[in-house]
Amino acid sequence: MQPSRREFVQWVTASGIALSLSRLALAEEPSFAARQTLPGRQRWNPAATGVGRIDGVAKVTGAKLYASDFRAADMPGWPATTSHAILVRAPDATHVYTGMDLGRLKGALEPAVVVTADDLARIGTRVPAFYAGDLLCPIGKTPLYLGQPVALLIFEHFDAFDQARLALRDGTFVRFGEETGPIVGPNYGAFRFTRVAGPTPDAPDVYSPIQAGWISPARIQDSALPVWSPLARQTPANYAKGAVYGEQIRAELAAKDPTLLVLDREFETQSVDPMFLEPEAGLAWFSGDSSKLELVLGVQSPYDAAEAVAFMLGKARAPFKPARINSHFAYMGGGFGGRDHTPFMLYLALAGMFFPGRPVRLAHDRYQQFQGGIKRHAFKMRSQIGVDRTTGKIRAFAADHVLDGGGLANYSPNVATVAATAAIGIYDVPKVDVTTVALHSRGVTAGSMRGYGTLQTMTALEVLIDETSAALSLDPIEFRRRNALGPNGRTMTGNPYTVSVRTPEILDKLEKHPIWRDRAQEKALGAQGGKLVGTGVACVTKDYGSGADCSFGKIEIDREGRISIHCDHVEMGTAVGTAVANRVALHLGAVADEITLAQIDAFDELALVTSGDPYTMDQKTQDAAARNPRWVPSLSTVTTASIGAHVGTQAAAEAARVILRFGLWPAALELWRIPATDPRAKQWETAAWKDGHLTMPDLAPLPLARLAATAHSRNLVTGASTHAFSRWAWSRARFQVAGVSWTADIDALAVRRGDGKFQRLDRSSVAFPPTDNNRIGTTYTSLCGTLVRVEIERASGALNIAKAYSVLECGRTLVPEVVRGQAQGGFAMGVGYALLESLPPYEGGPGNGQWNLGQYLIARGSDLPLRDLEIEMLPPLTPDEPPKGMAEVVMIPVVPALLNAIFDATGHRFQSLPVTQKILKGALA
Amino acid sequence: MRVKFFVLVAALAASVLAAYAGTVDQTKLVPPESFEGIADAEARSAAIFTELGKVLTHPRCVNCHPAGDRPRQGDEGRLHQPPVARGPDGHGREALRCQTCHQQANFEPGRMPGNSEWHLAPREMAWEGKTLGEICRQIKDPARNGGRKVEELIHHIGTDTLVGWAWKPGFGRTPAPGTQAEAGALVEAWVKTGAACPSK
Amino acid sequence: MTTLALTINGRAYGPTEVRDELSMNDFLREYLGLTGTKFGCGAAQCLSCAIIVDNPDGTSTTSPTCVVAAANFNGKAIRTVEGHARGNELSALQKAFIEHFAFQCGYCTAGFLNEGQVLLERLARKPVARVDLETTIAEALDGHLCRCTGYVKYHEAVRDVILADPKRYLV
Repeated sequence: MQPSRREFVQWVTASGIALSLSRLALAEEPSFAARQTLPGRQRWNPAATGVGRIDGVAKVTGAKLYASDFRAADMPGWPATTSHAILVRAPDATHVYTGMDLGRLKGALEPAVVVTADDLARIGTRVPAFYAGDLLCPIGKTPLYLGQPVALLIFEHFDAFDQARLALRDGTFVRFGEETGPIVGPNYGAFRFTRVAGPTPDAPDVYSPIQAGWISPARIQDSALPVWSPLARQTPANYAKGAVYGEQIRAELAAKDPTLLVLDREFETQSVDPMFLEPEAGLAWFSGDSSKLELVLGVQSPYDAAEAVAFMLGKARAPFKPARINSHFAYMGGGFGGRDHTPFMLYLALAGMFFPGRPVRLAHDRYQQFQGGIKRHAFKMRSQIGVDRTTGKIRAFAADHVLDGGGLANYSPNVATVAATAAIGIYDVPKVDVTTVALHSRGVTAGSMRGYGTLQTMTALEVLIDETSAALSLDPIEFRRRNALGPNGRTMTGNPYTVSVRTPEILDKLEKHPIWRDRAQEKALGAQGGKLVGTGVACVTKDYGSGADCSFGKIEIDREGRISIHCDHVEMGTAVGTAVANRVALHLGAVADEITLAQIDAFDELALVTSGDPYTMDQKTQDAAARNPRWVPSLSTVTTASIGAHVGTQAAAEAARVILRFGLWPAALELWRIPATDPRAKQWETAAWKDGHLTMPDLAPLPLARLAATAHSRNLVTGASTHAFSRWAWSRARFQVAGVSWTADIDALAVRRGDGKFQRLDRSSVAFPPTDNNRIGTTYTSLCGTLVRVEIERASGALNIAKAYSVLECGRTLVPEVVRGQAQGGFAMGVGYALLESLPPYEGGPGNGQWNLGQYLIARGSDLPLRDLEIEMLPPLTPDEPPKGMAEVVMIPVVPALLNAIFDATGHRFQSLPVTQKILKGALA
Repeated sequence: MRVKFFVLVAALAASVLAAYAGTVDQTKLVPPESFEGIADAEARSAAIFTELGKVLTHPRCVNCHPAGDRPRQGDEGRLHQPPVARGPDGHGREALRCQTCHQQANFEPGRMPGNSEWHLAPREMAWEGKTLGEICRQIKDPARNGGRKVEELIHHIGTDTLVGWAWKPGFGRTPAPGTQAEAGALVEAWVKTGAACPSK
Repeated sequence: MTTLALTINGRAYGPTEVRDELSMNDFLREYLGLTGTKFGCGAAQCLSCAIIVDNPDGTSTTSPTCVVAAANFNGKAIRTVEGHARGNELSALQKAFIEHFAFQCGYCTAGFLNEGQVLLERLARKPVARVDLETTIAEALDGHLCRCTGYVKYHEAVRDVILADPKRYLV
């Protein structure tokens, strides 16, 4: 199949460079694909489990979809030949870099272009703040981190590239001189989260981050770790105030109060790789004639990626500053956070700029992906918990987290805060004090990865909770029930959740499950058979959303009732497109024929503008900006933080509601001959779709096609385009549509009537979520509990997961089979993290460029209970409960549940990860 | 004379010990003549076998003489990835045969070792986890060496092409110590000196 | 340089001269543009690059392409993910993968599809007992890595195709 492409154009100016972004379309029109795949199943049936994915046919037929699939010859208008680049990285970060052994690349192997730090200095590139650090290590400096790039080698033809890459892979191509030890850098961020609840649950907090703001200790230059004491030199006043409360909590825990059980434990987690299966890859072509740089990429953050490239080249001297950058965004072969803000596209763009006129491909192999790809942070944690021995209620919790951020800051400060604010999990704790600091190191850069720090802190917590229950002789589920945070209770930052909190239901499900119920019996049976059998439980809650998330959505319905959707979110396996289509179908009665993702340039009709940083803006600035009816706090965000269902589908769903209310509903009234004066004329929200027909009691069902035809012929609303923004609450705005006031969780709206053009409707009022919400840890959360039963062979330490069960709640599931699949995949990734995966942080680790999957083990089918893994999704609390993010939460309880099961089986309480067969064997010897 | 002899034995014993402590060059083999100073034939034979043990216990050899049904790989001797099993004929299970990846010769770009005979040693020839003395007695036992006479081992170790691969293992793998011919010479000398085994 | 002529999805390619060190994966992806065959690890550890080899005796096997020289395929007949459907008619296994939501990102799908298809063809020649089916599927697919799905739905899809035609695949 040959790919077809659609181009969308919008120019965004950054650094004087015009930007445009387009998406590489599916190999076939989705409507065709959908028809060919599942004939007769396109009609929306809420009872059906699903209708297949919109990308189904493309993915089983090997269509060109991923960035790594494209070569110059696949891009219309490009030269036919692809050149190839190698990004050379330093396998050492304790010696001075002295240059490359280019002598071994002579003759046919000689690169056409060698790009070094000198060249970047010469042309005047800038490093975007997010990626601060030398893009290429200059000669004479010690690399900032293992795997830091030192040069780009560009080869005109594949054969030379192919042979050269063998010639330089032995780890001695990059040369080093004098030993300097690692570069010491300041920490990436240090924070303290302290909360002291009032005397009763209803009383205001004595102190909380939401009241007092987030606090950081003073930066002290000559110390790697912050000084947390409120009495330290140069301590900011707001920090000192919070720290005094924090120190009081610690003093209480240390007071040897006989009524208080105090456990004080350390826990360490390892560095791991997201190991998405498609290594990072892309194409770049700088056409000197038109001064246009074209990029083909697969990233979770298209908008930011394009802007970062524009910034890098924005002040470059001619001819290294392109007039335009056009980026094409492809489907991704996995992401898991690891494709969110990686510096890869900067090097890709440089490869293109330094070989003008020739399309250049830069693609990691797996060794390079291990060497250069973003990693999960390794954590060192100390946790103290104080529990009232009589009531079994947690009185206080204190923790100290140290994150290894690796060589570049990347998302380290954010991971640290998200991890810290998740550190009390599902529990209601009146006194909490958590410090966290992310350190620079010579390790490979750590950043975003599924769980985003909470995997680490909640694993430590749930293992500690298990131990605490045992110390109190309380059943671990009963202990959790006693301490679970209620729906209106306050989180660590001092705010309640604004979504359903269904901990008791989840705990009940866990408690009644046969894996839990039969645990003693199974343990005894195992003992008879010479096996160590154990059962573990864990239950966690995980935020979704980043605190400034948005989506674009545009729906059009034609005369035949065919629906097309445009959306700005991207696809990395999570079926965002299918979720959008299914959510729209709830309102419009049919699954769309055309779904186009990863677009930010198909919404010109909204003519939106933005300014400022939505995370740090003050209220006054926001209020002033909001007076412009076209202003929004953010245009397009990263597809990350489990927001696909919740945020990614929001704008499209709201657009669909507008079409229903102002297009299909008035058409239905006409066909039913219901006059405006009839009370039923206002009951549009009670109408229901059934088998593609709009139904009302005692009225003839109306097929969608007929409604669409009527809406078109009567010039009713047949298209809507919207933008939605969330800062732990949706923006809400009022519009006048067809003379009717319409209020919805969107901040921009344009509509199309009949076959006309889209027209923007200025909002008559808007309420953006307050900027104080930036002090919230989260208000959106989903729950998941997991049970596992393990069987361990004492002699070998071999562990078999006999059975497992995960129960989760995520509001209304848009594509139930994908939710189930995510839970199964999360289970597998949890097993890998708990039992298999590990990367040494520094020398000997992935930065040496010699790591691959023989050494780095991820879970295979044989590591998993493929026939005994049960996933249960709680039905939504109400039929219209919004979808909640769940892609991360499903992974997390798997890890502590495994550790708790291992304890149950062996009596060993492991406090570091992973627990490999070798470690188990050693512990059991 | 006698005094000198004892010194030599002591030195040899020390060198063998040191070899296993990692201070002697593990990449080389000492030739059979070096052992001529050991008067006691049995002790000499056992010492020669101990030298040969550098080869036999090297990951290039042990990885495919595993204790179970799954080979090992790499200089660390980690379990083979992807998971494979010896199957009915030592050439893998039907779903994943050794020859699928391990073809006629090493394929350097993929760091993939190859040989036309690539397969696992039979289960009874497992060396993994065994002491050199145990391996030695096993090698001599026709029931556990493929029905070979000890003389045939000279050929098996000295000239067999699959065994020979251990000295040309390709990128990323340490070759077995010495050369195949040197290993063959050690086997021959060991057989000729009575094929005695180290006690441990 | 070695002469390479082979059949891919029923179509003859070559003869052409290829470097001895050119991998089959690069031959397919860089020379022929057949990028449905993926590159995952380059070390035969994930098998996302696996294709089907049709042997002269009528049997079929999978082969990784990243660790095998293109020249080794001289004279052989292979199938890739692009060659399973007949026109617009998907194979039973392709349909099952879609209906089961077997894949997510889809990058490992070609490898699983080829491995599953070879298993189906093997079972059609040599059926197994129902009681051995789970082990048979598990052993066949275990070499393939997937990071998204947890494997469950791939196994279910393969199992369903077999159970839908027990006379053909089971004794």
